Amino acid sequence: MATINYRLIDVDALDPESAFPAELLTPPCDPIPTSEIQSLATHCRQLLQRGDQEAALVAALENVPYGGDEHGKELHLGTVLEILCSIKAVEMSPLLGRLYASPSGTELLDVLTKYLYKGMARHNNSTSSTSTPGVSVHATGVSSASGAREYGVAPGRGDGGGMSVLLSWHEKIVEVAGTGAIVRVMTDRRTV
Amino acid sequence: MSEVHPLFHQPIADHSFSADRSLLAVSRDTKVELYKRSGSGFTLQDELAGHDKTVTSVDIAPNTKKIVTCSQDRNALVWEPSPTGWKPTLVLLRINRAATHVRWSPDETKFAVGSGARVIAVCYFEGENDWWVSKHIKKPLRSTVFSLAWHPNSVLLAAGSADAHARVFSSFIKGVDQRPEPTAWGERIPFNTVCGEYINSSGGWVHSVAFSPSGNALAFVAHDSSVTVVYPSAPEQPPHAVLSVTTQMLPFVTLCWTREDQLVAAGHDCHPVVFEGSMEGWRLAYSVDDPRKSASSGASHESSALNMFRQMDLKGKSSADDTNLKTIHQNSITILRPYEGRPGNITKFSSSGVDGRIVIFPVKG
Repeated sequence: MATINYRLIDVDALDPESAFPAELLTPPCDPIPTSEIQSLATHCRQLLQRGDQEAALVAALENVPYGGDEHGKELHLGTVLEILCSIKAVEMSPLLGRLYASPSGTELLDVLTKYLYKGMARHNNSTSSTSTPGVSVHATGVSSASGAREYGVAPGRGDGGGMSVLLSWHEKIVEVAGTGAIVRVMTDRRTV
Repeated sequence: MSEVHPLFHQPIADHSFSADRSLLAVSRDTKVELYKRSGSGFTLQDELAGHDKTVTSVDIAPNTKKIVTCSQDRNALVWEPSPTGWKPTLVLLRINRAATHVRWSPDETKFAVGSGARVIAVCYFEGENDWWVSKHIKKPLRSTVFSLAWHPNSVLLAAGSADAHARVFSSFIKGVDQRPEPTAWGERIPFNTVCGEYINSSGGWVHSVAFSPSGNALAFVAHDSSVTVVYPSAPEQPPHAVLSVTTQMLPFVTLCWTREDQLVAAGHDCHPVVFEGSMEGWRLAYSVDDPRKSASSGASHESSALNMFRQMDLKGKSSADDTNLKTIHQNSITILRPYEGRPGNITKFSSSGVDGRIVIFPVKG
């Protein structure tokens, strides 16, 4: 008797026409040099120093480095998180309302949601020193005392965005843009 | 008022009414059930059992009254009424994956079957051999075809697929079709010509496509909760306008045009939404069966004294249970279809859902 498990054979590998490169699905993005992202970060920081948080956030969200490399994307994430942390909780909702009402409003909020999730993922990774990169050990339901304490850490830990800040932004975004924003982030192949 | 018909407690993948709306075909597991209108309800009349896997789609031809079904068993069957009951004919689809969607062309000489095998089988009847044969549209499909829609000229065919594209193909078959009038989509169009290809900007699956009543616009819904309407300009030219509306809702999986400037979409939010617009722009106009406006839960249609006492007994509360949605459909809507009115002025549409219900909604909420 043959011992091959026929269900595990990748029949598509035998079909030359079935090649399915993921790039075909990803809308084309021009590569962006890290220096450009760096200058954008400086620009945003200047706006922040002038006290214009809204302009800084819009500038950061309008120029998403979809085509940047890992380092550049990480840099921009830092910029966005810095801006988010500088905005007071009471100002979140009115600000999001204004963004949403602008012509490319949904797009801006979708991008912001992407950064929130990326920020949350990074937060998890940076707090778990023993974990392998990209794998979070802080799964839901982990009730260790240390884990619980980590979630309460306030901004200014050095990673630029405390989990509590990200969660309150997330709550406000869903109030304004609905569950559609979450679905779009999960769907979108243009990652930040 | 909307008419609610809770038929059974299994998902309905697709449904179709006959032209006089007296017959309703509903897919249920591996069978298709035929219901006859009796008074305000529907009674089970017949059952089409021929597939051995889940039936994914069913369509009744308005004039010839033939029913075509397709299934995950990779087959399509054409059912013809005969004195001894419905007689099935197997169609040679030549696909190696599940068939996902089937629709008759408006002139009813052809039908198209979408599949997971990255092909669309365009089927037509060959009188010489007395069987249905198929021709494949293959390129440039890269993934499963979820939905198909015919242009009123019965030659152009739109397809929405999991590779994030909505495409318009020519399904012109020599000897079956007359040469169509030139349209904005194309003039001389041999079989498998790609007349239009539109990507969803965020790369989401395109769940459903539909031509406007005139055929001069194409709408599609994708998994990023958006509705996109495309206005072509001329063959081989970029379109006049590609208008996308992103919403606050969960993704839509089906849509149907009601007027040239109005369409209805529905999906995972369990209630239909009406969009209105023109080449200048589209917007979400209003919700039909809006859960925020309805006071009572949609499940009240099935509530009973027994349920009430069971609630009190099990959960110790006397109010209606809060596990029911406030919409009429209690689960995702799978298919919307025009129900009453003429193409270009549809006044009522029907919907089927994963909750096993068929609902007939008026377009005016």
